Amino acid sequence: MTPFIGERSATGPVRMRGAWEAIASAWNRFWFTPGPASTLGICRLLFFGMLFVWQFPHDFTPWGAYSSVFWMPIWLFQTFGLRPLEPSMLAWLQVAWKLSLCLSAIGLFTRPAMIVAFALGTYLMGLPHNFGQTQHFDTLVVFASGALALSRAGDAWSIDAAIASFRAGVPSPLPDRDEYTWPIRFVWVAMALIFFAAGLSKWRHGGLGWIFSDSFSLTLLRQQYHISDGDPLTTWGIAVAHHVWIAHAMAASAILIETLYPLVLFSRRARLVLVPAGLLFLIGIRALMGPTFEQFMMCYVFWIPWARVVARITHPRRFLPVHHAPTLSSAADSPRRRVVF
Amino acid sequence: MTMARRLFLNLIFAFLILGSAYDIVTDQEHWPFSQYPMFSGEWRSPTFTWLRLFGVTADGREIALASNRFIAPFDLSRLPKVLRRMLEERDGSRRVAVAIRDCLTRYEQLRADHHHDGPPLAAMRLYEVEWRIDPNAANVDRPERRTLIAEVAGR
Repeated sequence: MTPFIGERSATGPVRMRGAWEAIASAWNRFWFTPGPASTLGICRLLFFGMLFVWQFPHDFTPWGAYSSVFWMPIWLFQTFGLRPLEPSMLAWLQVAWKLSLCLSAIGLFTRPAMIVAFALGTYLMGLPHNFGQTQHFDTLVVFASGALALSRAGDAWSIDAAIASFRAGVPSPLPDRDEYTWPIRFVWVAMALIFFAAGLSKWRHGGLGWIFSDSFSLTLLRQQYHISDGDPLTTWGIAVAHHVWIAHAMAASAILIETLYPLVLFSRRARLVLVPAGLLFLIGIRALMGPTFEQFMMCYVFWIPWARVVARITHPRRFLPVHHAPTLSSAADSPRRRVVF
Repeated sequence: MTMARRLFLNLIFAFLILGSAYDIVTDQEHWPFSQYPMFSGEWRSPTFTWLRLFGVTADGREIALASNRFIAPFDLSRLPKVLRRMLEERDGSRRVAVAIRDCLTRYEQLRADHHHDGPPLAAMRLYEVEWRIDPNAANVDRPERRTLIAEVAGR
């Protein structure tokens, strides 16, 4: 039956509205499906704890002592008129930052500590990039710190939470909340964008030649000549370079993992493959080529459903899967499962 | 969560996604956003050049400063690149001389603080070195060619 013209024109906007509603609904489900406080709390503890341990021996004060000929400001510093401070000021600043990292990890004065950790961390981690080269091992750390600074990550697994619970007299279990999901998803999205951008750059500047020529073998060998921010942890890159098909396979794997990484945001199956593959890829870069992506790797704590892990360890017999209720680890998936204590 | 907070957070999410998309599409870098161009080019040449600092001892011996501990907090990637960028500028020679003097001061400071066990230096030289990539990287310490760019004596 042929519809009237009026009917046909009405279905277009209706369909459009339906599509927008579906997109908005999926968007909200992705970011704001209620999740457990403990997963976010443990992510905070591990992330800031590892960052504190990693950064503790790093000294930022020498950057303030170099002559101005070195100063080549990046966009962020130029826009906000930021300069290298005097070494004595940098010394105080880094003490404050490292203290804030420690406080953020243990969860004491958590919210202000995380805000300070983000603000000072952005300045201190960004400072070396104004000296001639922008490196990329800490961008995800800045994004993760920013997300946590705006979050309620101190509600669980923190001294603040323990004090609040003690004052209340009886420990009350925290309900799942939307506030505990979005910071984790923020790190997922940032990581996916980073991998994707790196993959796209290789397609753009190298193309298929990046995989099928000698390019990757030559790069592996070139990295042995002390030209990176860190020397390769092994000499396996030389062995790989000797086997053309292994070098081609590794190059293809690298570019595929990077380009396909955004799938982890939509598919649980993709997550099961690409998340560990991405971590192995970073370990491979460090071992074979040198660049120091340890800080980036720290952000992998955000992929682990810690509430489940803790439940399995502490109450193995009471760990019962029940269908049709959302959890953090599976909120973007279907069917959903929930841990019941 | 209040509507205002949800709106605020959505703006933050949009900032992350659009900021990243801008750098990806335009092939630019605005740290902490970036298009992540590292190792993205196709390398075909069997040779490559790099800037490298050498220390000169009082008896005239030259020592390649091929470890981060001699130049920290710089590293062997960042320092050559910043020196290269200086050389490309109009008053490059003057700037590089100032930079090498800073590196020499820093080297001695690190040595005094026992961060490395290198010898005391009387001067520092910047060379452009060229290597032919060896299948076993066996010539790391023996570049094919060296061109002196600048030299600074200690005070």
